Amino acid sequence: MENFTGHRDPLPPLARSAHIAHAKYALAHLPGSLVDFDASRMAVVFYCVGILDLLGALQEETTELERGSWRNWIWEQYLGGRYGTGFRPGPFMAGTSVNSGYDSPHIIMTYAALLSLAMLRDDYSRLNRQGLLRFVGSCQNRDGSFSNTPNGGGDYDLRNLYSAFCICCMLGDWSSIDVERAISFIASCRTYEGGYGQLPSCEAQSGTTFLAIACLRLAPPGPRPGPRLTPQEQARSEHWLIHSQDASGGFRGRTGKLPDVCYCFWGGAALRILGAHEKINAYAFTQFIAACQFPFGGVGKAPGQPSDPYHTYFALAAAALYTPRLEASVRAYGQWDSITSANLNPLLNATEETVKWAWRHMRVEDSGRRR
Amino acid sequence: MIPDPPPPLYSTRPEWADIVPLPQYEKVEPLAPILYSAEYKDATDYLRGVVKVGEKSERVLQLTEHVIRLNPAHYSAWQYRYETVLKIQWPLENEIALMDELADKFLKTYQVWHHRRLILTLSKKAKEELAFVEKILRQDQKNYHTWAHRQWVLAFFNEDALWAGELDFVDTMMNKDVRNNSAWHHRFFVVFQSGVRDGEEDRERVVRRELIYTKQSISLAPNNASAWNYLRGVLEYNKLPLSTVAPFVQPYTKPLPDQLLDLVDVENPPPGKGADLPCVAAIEFQADVYEEAGGSEDVDKAVQLWKSLAGEFDTIRKKYWEYRIQQALLRV
Repeated sequence: MENFTGHRDPLPPLARSAHIAHAKYALAHLPGSLVDFDASRMAVVFYCVGILDLLGALQEETTELERGSWRNWIWEQYLGGRYGTGFRPGPFMAGTSVNSGYDSPHIIMTYAALLSLAMLRDDYSRLNRQGLLRFVGSCQNRDGSFSNTPNGGGDYDLRNLYSAFCICCMLGDWSSIDVERAISFIASCRTYEGGYGQLPSCEAQSGTTFLAIACLRLAPPGPRPGPRLTPQEQARSEHWLIHSQDASGGFRGRTGKLPDVCYCFWGGAALRILGAHEKINAYAFTQFIAACQFPFGGVGKAPGQPSDPYHTYFALAAAALYTPRLEASVRAYGQWDSITSANLNPLLNATEETVKWAWRHMRVEDSGRRR
Repeated sequence: MIPDPPPPLYSTRPEWADIVPLPQYEKVEPLAPILYSAEYKDATDYLRGVVKVGEKSERVLQLTEHVIRLNPAHYSAWQYRYETVLKIQWPLENEIALMDELADKFLKTYQVWHHRRLILTLSKKAKEELAFVEKILRQDQKNYHTWAHRQWVLAFFNEDALWAGELDFVDTMMNKDVRNNSAWHHRFFVVFQSGVRDGEEDRERVVRRELIYTKQSISLAPNNASAWNYLRGVLEYNKLPLSTVAPFVQPYTKPLPDQLLDLVDVENPPPGKGADLPCVAAIEFQADVYEEAGGSEDVDKAVQLWKSLAGEFDTIRKKYWEYRIQQALLRV
């Protein structure tokens, strides 16, 4: 609440220990009711390790033994084939690859695995960089989009394209993909509202809008100088994103829908990339996030809703972007410092320290020192 | 309602005795392991076993359907099912009938729509699709996958007969909820982003029609962000200045007058009785009109409107309105 003197009530405490417990619990076991995640366990791993990384808990609240074991599991999902090397979501089709490539890498899970390894400070000595580049290249379709598995398998929406761009960025090598064609695919997903849909012709949604805007910023320079968005396009996108903030402070995913804490990240990070983060109400924003904390740990999509690793991760990532903008008195209770100092890179979606580690250890070297 | 007991495990069924089940093998300590039900573990052991030997048969259709019902996000089960349908030349209408049921159950799962599209690409039977989408939308009028599927059907088959009923369909959805942004988006897609069909060649007439449609919608329900976004979208896409609709917007920026004039002005439908005014989106629009005009008096007027938004009508966006004021003053 903000009263007439401008004094603002402090945020409710950040339940840091409870969120750490929530992440560690999920890493240890997921109930049978979450069987829907069987084909995306690597994503759950990314959210949980990400929660710990954001809260600065990896060094102090996990052991080297644990982190080593986690790195091992992630590497256990690393495999190669005709199309190069990458990471699969989990072992759910392990042992079937003799036949027709059903046990194969997945582009989003590859992004998730590589970043998780960076958080866990892996040295990437097991990484075949050329194989990885080949895999990413083999996922690209003729219209510039990316499939999630090589050779046109599965879906081909912006999440795959974003994963491809992040991987190329971390490797420092864009040679295996057609960047300009990818950019034109992104442009074809833009709608009259100023946001981006999942596919061309689809409704503007903040998740895919974040992906589009991040990709346009990540991309190496194109044939024409200057930014990939015209000033008018930028202004229109900013306008739509800023209007995604609801009176409660939270962000909605599409025009007319209710706020959901994960959109605080998607919309908030997109605005950060556009340099428009100072134009939103950061106080109401973080009040909303704080209110979504679930009494037994983790963060739910809205106040009172049960928590899950996905919403917890994105709520904390959004808080990492915006709590530094608030005055100290508002962050006085609970352990907001731990999130305020996370220093999140909104493009790659990891802390700056983690991103630096990835860059330093993953990059393809010209000298051929790395495979 | 007592649920049906799970079917007997494949490991106990004599007709599956020839398949060697392949357990999920985790060589290292598992991370985020799922505590599978016995039913899921057994079914997926047999799925892996079947994929390993490459069998594609009718019983594989039963098995993949079983796995999908337990975990509709199991994309490999879907993919293997698709290959099996192709290999054994399973009747595509049978597959679509199953997809009808599964889309209803799992409408939020991407795979169920993707598989449907793969089958339709082969069967080329678009006729029932639009009615099917309308039926599924009754469950969740804004479901993203469902609308995306409709757009895919229209674009992929591109038959005049399919496009013909779309504007009426949008009206039906608007009548249920005028704030359904998916319906507005779909309208834009149909009118402006899918080529020019017979009868729509006079683009000026089409634009005028869309502007009137939107203005009428606003007059009935002014506080509808979707309608205002659509209005801006139509003008911008057709390279018309915002001032084109300034006379229409004006009355919405003020409180409702005590005496409502009984005007019938198709071009500028006024706010109806009971309208909640002033309308925030209208004030914003009006400010943009002044800013577009650009003279120092116009900019002053825009600044006043932005101040009213920042201070009273749209305080959550105070910082944004202050930024707009600052930018406009810098330019003058």
